Amino acid sequence: MRKHILPLVTILFSLLLAACGPEPVSDARQEASQPAIYPDYIGVTIPVNIAPLNFSMVDEKALLVDAVVADSHGHSLSSQGEEAVDFDLDDWHALLSQNRGDSLTVTVSAKYDDGWHTYRPFTLYVSADSIDYGLCYRLIAPGHEVWSKMGIYERDLSTFDERALIENTQFEGCVNCHSFNRGNPSRMSLHIRGKHGATLLTGDDGTVTAYNTKTPATLGLCVYPYWHPSGRYIAYSTNTTRQTFHSAHPNRIEVFDEASDLQVYDVETNELLLSPLVKQDSVYETYPVFSADGRSLYFCAARALPPNGSGPGMAIDSIRYNLCRIDFDPQTGTFGDHIETIVDAAAQKKSVSFPRPSYDGRFLCYTLADYGQFSIWHHEADLWIIPLPSPDGDTSGLQGNEAPSGAVGGAAARPLTGANSPDTESFHNWSTNSRWLVLSSRRDDGLYTRPYFCHVDTNGVATKAFMLPQRNPRRFYRERFLSFNVPDFVTGPARFDSRQAVRAINDDRRKDFGVRK
Amino acid sequence: MRNLHFLYTLLFGVAVLLFFGLAYPHHLHYQEQFQLFLFDNNYVWDIVKRPGGVADLLGRFCTQFFLYAWVGAAIIAVLLSAVQLLTLRLVVSPLQPPSTGGGRRLDNSSPCGGRLVGAFYGLSFVPSLLLWLFLLDENALLGGVWAVLFTLHVVGMFLHRPVGWLRRSQLVVAIVLLYWLVGPLWVPADGMTLGTHYHRYPTVTPWLLWAASLFVVVVPLAVRACRRWTGAAPFSSLISHLSFLFVAVVMGVLVWKNANMKAERVMGYDFMARYQQWNRILETVNREKPNNQIGVTVQNLALAMHGLLVDHLFDYNQNGLLGLLPDVGTDATSPLPTAEAFYQLGMTSVAQRTVFEAQEAILDFQKSGRCYKRLAQTYLIQGDYAVARKYLAALQKTLFYRAWANETLPLLGDEAAIAKHPEYGRLRQMGYKEDFYFGDHVTADMLERLYFSNTDNRLAFQYLVAYYMLTGDRDGYTKLLQKIQKP
Repeated sequence: MRKHILPLVTILFSLLLAACGPEPVSDARQEASQPAIYPDYIGVTIPVNIAPLNFSMVDEKALLVDAVVADSHGHSLSSQGEEAVDFDLDDWHALLSQNRGDSLTVTVSAKYDDGWHTYRPFTLYVSADSIDYGLCYRLIAPGHEVWSKMGIYERDLSTFDERALIENTQFEGCVNCHSFNRGNPSRMSLHIRGKHGATLLTGDDGTVTAYNTKTPATLGLCVYPYWHPSGRYIAYSTNTTRQTFHSAHPNRIEVFDEASDLQVYDVETNELLLSPLVKQDSVYETYPVFSADGRSLYFCAARALPPNGSGPGMAIDSIRYNLCRIDFDPQTGTFGDHIETIVDAAAQKKSVSFPRPSYDGRFLCYTLADYGQFSIWHHEADLWIIPLPSPDGDTSGLQGNEAPSGAVGGAAARPLTGANSPDTESFHNWSTNSRWLVLSSRRDDGLYTRPYFCHVDTNGVATKAFMLPQRNPRRFYRERFLSFNVPDFVTGPARFDSRQAVRAINDDRRKDFGVRK
Repeated sequence: MRNLHFLYTLLFGVAVLLFFGLAYPHHLHYQEQFQLFLFDNNYVWDIVKRPGGVADLLGRFCTQFFLYAWVGAAIIAVLLSAVQLLTLRLVVSPLQPPSTGGGRRLDNSSPCGGRLVGAFYGLSFVPSLLLWLFLLDENALLGGVWAVLFTLHVVGMFLHRPVGWLRRSQLVVAIVLLYWLVGPLWVPADGMTLGTHYHRYPTVTPWLLWAASLFVVVVPLAVRACRRWTGAAPFSSLISHLSFLFVAVVMGVLVWKNANMKAERVMGYDFMARYQQWNRILETVNREKPNNQIGVTVQNLALAMHGLLVDHLFDYNQNGLLGLLPDVGTDATSPLPTAEAFYQLGMTSVAQRTVFEAQEAILDFQKSGRCYKRLAQTYLIQGDYAVARKYLAALQKTLFYRAWANETLPLLGDEAAIAKHPEYGRLRQMGYKEDFYFGDHVTADMLERLYFSNTDNRLAFQYLVAYYMLTGDRDGYTKLLQKIQKP
C-alpha cells in the first residue's frame, strides 16, 4: 500500500502545480489596438532601477491578464494574474539592467468570457539614467481643516516596500512639510502642528532638535522649507493662510495667503536672516528655493490684496504670483539689493507656484495655474519648465524647442507636456541626478493625489509620466483613501529616529529661532 | 441550584438585551456609524497584526451589527453573559482538584462547590457589571469586552491544567498568545503607541476594563483566601440567592445612574435625521421639545421637509442660527445632522465637506459607513464618478452597505438615470448654478442664491425666511419679498 502512496502524492502535487500555473494564451483574437491598462504605462520611459510595472486591464471584466516583456536579445519575462500581472522582482531588475538605454516590448493578452484577446504590443524605454533610492511623502486625506491618521512615509522605488518614518498616532498633532537636503537621508526638516507644534531638524549625527520658529520679528511659524546646497541654510516662508469655498466650481476650495514673507535660517548660528526686499507688506512672497549653486533665492511673489480685500466674495482670483529671484551670498548670509522677475505670469493672467530648480542648475520647473498659490486644488494646474542661465550667462538649455504661443514669462518657458494631464499637476521635485521629476497629480480620479515620474532630458523635454508602481496598482490605489503629499527623493533609507523625534515633540521644551540683528 | 444559576445568567442576559434594545439603542447606532468593517484581507491584517488586534477585530466585526439595535443588544447580552459564566468558573475552580477538571461544572454535588458558589456567586456578575458600565460610554469599544472575555477564558482553561512543568511552559505560551489576542489589558499603558483599541479616545484609560480584567486575578485569590470560611458557611444556597439579589440591585442602580439618557436622546435625533424619519421626528419633538443644538437642527429640518418651518418656527424651541444651520464643528458627531440639512437643501458641496471633515474627526482614525455612503452620493450628484466609484467599491466590501453600493454603481455616468432618480435628480436641480465664494458660516446671501438658483427649492426658501426670522432681519425679508415679486 505504502509504495502506491508516493506516486499518488506526486501525481496530485503535479496536478496541483499545473492548476496553479499560468493558463496558456490560446486561440487569441489579435486586436489592432494597444491594450487599455491601468496604470497607463504604454510608451513610458522608466529608470533602470524602478520596481516592476505591474498593471491590470482597465476593463474589469477581464478574467485573466497575461503579459510578456521581451527585449531584442531574446530575453523575456512573463506574468499572468486574475487582477493584475505581478512580475518577479529579481527577474524584472535583471531584464532592465540587461537593457539599460534600450527598449522592451510588452505583449498583453486578456481573457474575457469570449476567450483570449492579444493586443498590439507597446514599448517601455529603459533609461540609462537611474533614479534615487526612494521617495518620501506625507500620506493624508485630502481634507480641509480636520485631520485623521497621517504620517511621513518612505518608499523604496526599486521594490514595493513602504515604511512609516513618523505617524501622528505616536503623538497628538499632525505632521506637516518635510524637506530633505538634495535627497540626503540624514538631513531633514519637518514641521509638527497642533498641541505639540514644532519644527524638527535632524543633524548629521541623527540628533533631532525641536525648534520654535516663531519670532517677534516674523509673521508666524516657518513653513515651506528648502535647504541650501551647503546644508548651512534653510529658506522658509511665513504665511497667514485662509481658505474659502466655491459654491459651484470644479475647484472646490481655495487656500490663499493674506500675508506672507520670506526668511533664511542659518543652522550654524541659529539665526533667521531677514531682508526688507522679501518682507514687503504690499507683496505676498512664498515658496523660496535656492538655486543649485546656492547664490540665488527663487520664490513666488504676488501683489497683495488691499487690507480687508480678501475673504468670501472678494477677489482672491486676482492674486497671481510671478517667479522672482534675489541674490543670496552664502558666505555672509546676505541678500541682494534688488528683485528680478523671471516669469511674469501675472501679465498673462496666470500664477506660478512651487518653483524647483534642477540640481544640475540647468532648469527650473514650476506649477502654473490660473491664480493663487495652492495649485493642488486647481484642476487646470500644469507643470512648466524654464532654462536657467549657466554661470556664464548662457540660456541654451531649451535650444531647439520652440516656445508655444501664449508662453508665460519668457520665450523659453514652456509647458512640460509629457508630464501634464487634463487634471491637476502640482508639487514636484527633481531626482539628485536631475534627470527624473516626481510630480503630484490628480489625474487618476480627480481628488486623490498620486506620485508620477517622468524623465527630463538635457533639452528639458519630459517623457510621458508614469504612476508610482505597486504590486497590484488598481487594488492599492482604489483602497488607499490618502493623498501622496510633497513627494521628495532620498538617496538612501532616511536616518530618522522616530522615537527620539516623538520624545522631542512631546517634550514642551523648544529651541527658539534667533534673528540676526 | 445549578439550573437556577443558569436562570440567573439568563435573567441577566435579558436585562442587558432589554436595556440596550429599548433604552440605549441609539448608542449602538452611534457606535456603528463611526466604523467601517471591511471584508478585506488588508483591512483584517492591519488590525490583527497589532497587540490586541484579535479582540479589536472581533469587536469591530460585532459592532457592524449595531446598525440594527436589537441585534447589537443581543450580541452584548451574549458577551456579558459569557463573561459572567467564565468568571463563575474561576469562582469554582480553586475548590476543584486541578487534575480532575471537575471545577468546570457548577454542581452542588461537588465537594464544596455549592457552598463556595453560595458565598461568591454574586461576585461572578461583577466583571459583567463593570463591562456594562464601560459600554454605557458611547466611545467605549466592544473590543475591550472581547479582551476581557479572552483573558477569562484563557486563565480559566489554564487553572484546570495539572500543576507541573507542562503547565509552566503553557503559561509562557499563554502569556504571549494572550498579549497578541487582547493586548496589554493588564498594564495601563499608552494605547496609542501600543496600538491597543479599547476606547475611541486614545488618551483615555479605560479603568472599568482594567477592573474587570483584574478579577481574573482577584477572584481565584479571594476564593482561596476564604476557602475555609466558605466551606463552613451554612445557608450557602440562601447566601447565593442573596448575593445575586444584592448584585442585581447594585447593578440596576449603577447602570441607571450612569446611563447617559440625554446623549441617547441627542443620538436619537441624529438617527432619525440619518434615516429621514421626518414624521417620527415631529412626533418626538411634539412630545418633548429638544433643547440641544442637534435636536433643534433636526427638528427644523423635519419641519422644513413638511413645509412647516416658516409657519411654526417659534412654536418650538429655537437656538438662533445655531439651531438652523450651525457652524460646522471639528468633532465627528455634531456636523452630521447639519450635513443632512445641507444635503437636503441641495448644498451638495457643503454637505460633502461637512461629512468629510466629520469622518476625519473620528478620534480613533476609523472610517464611517454612513460617511462613505453620503460622500459617494455627493460625488455622484456632482458628476465626480471616479471618486464616487472609489467609495462605492469600499462599501461593496461591507456586509450592510453592499447591496446599496451594488444598486448605485450602475448609476455612475448614466446621466439620464440620475436625472430621473427621485433623490439625486432632484438634488442636482436644487443645487447652485452660479459660482461664488463662501466661508465657514452660512449666510443669508448663500441661502438666497440657492433659492434663486431654482425657485422650486422650497426648502431653501423656508430656511432663508427662517434665517431672517431668527436674526430679526426685517429689511432682508422685505427685500426678499420685493425680489420675488419683481416680474
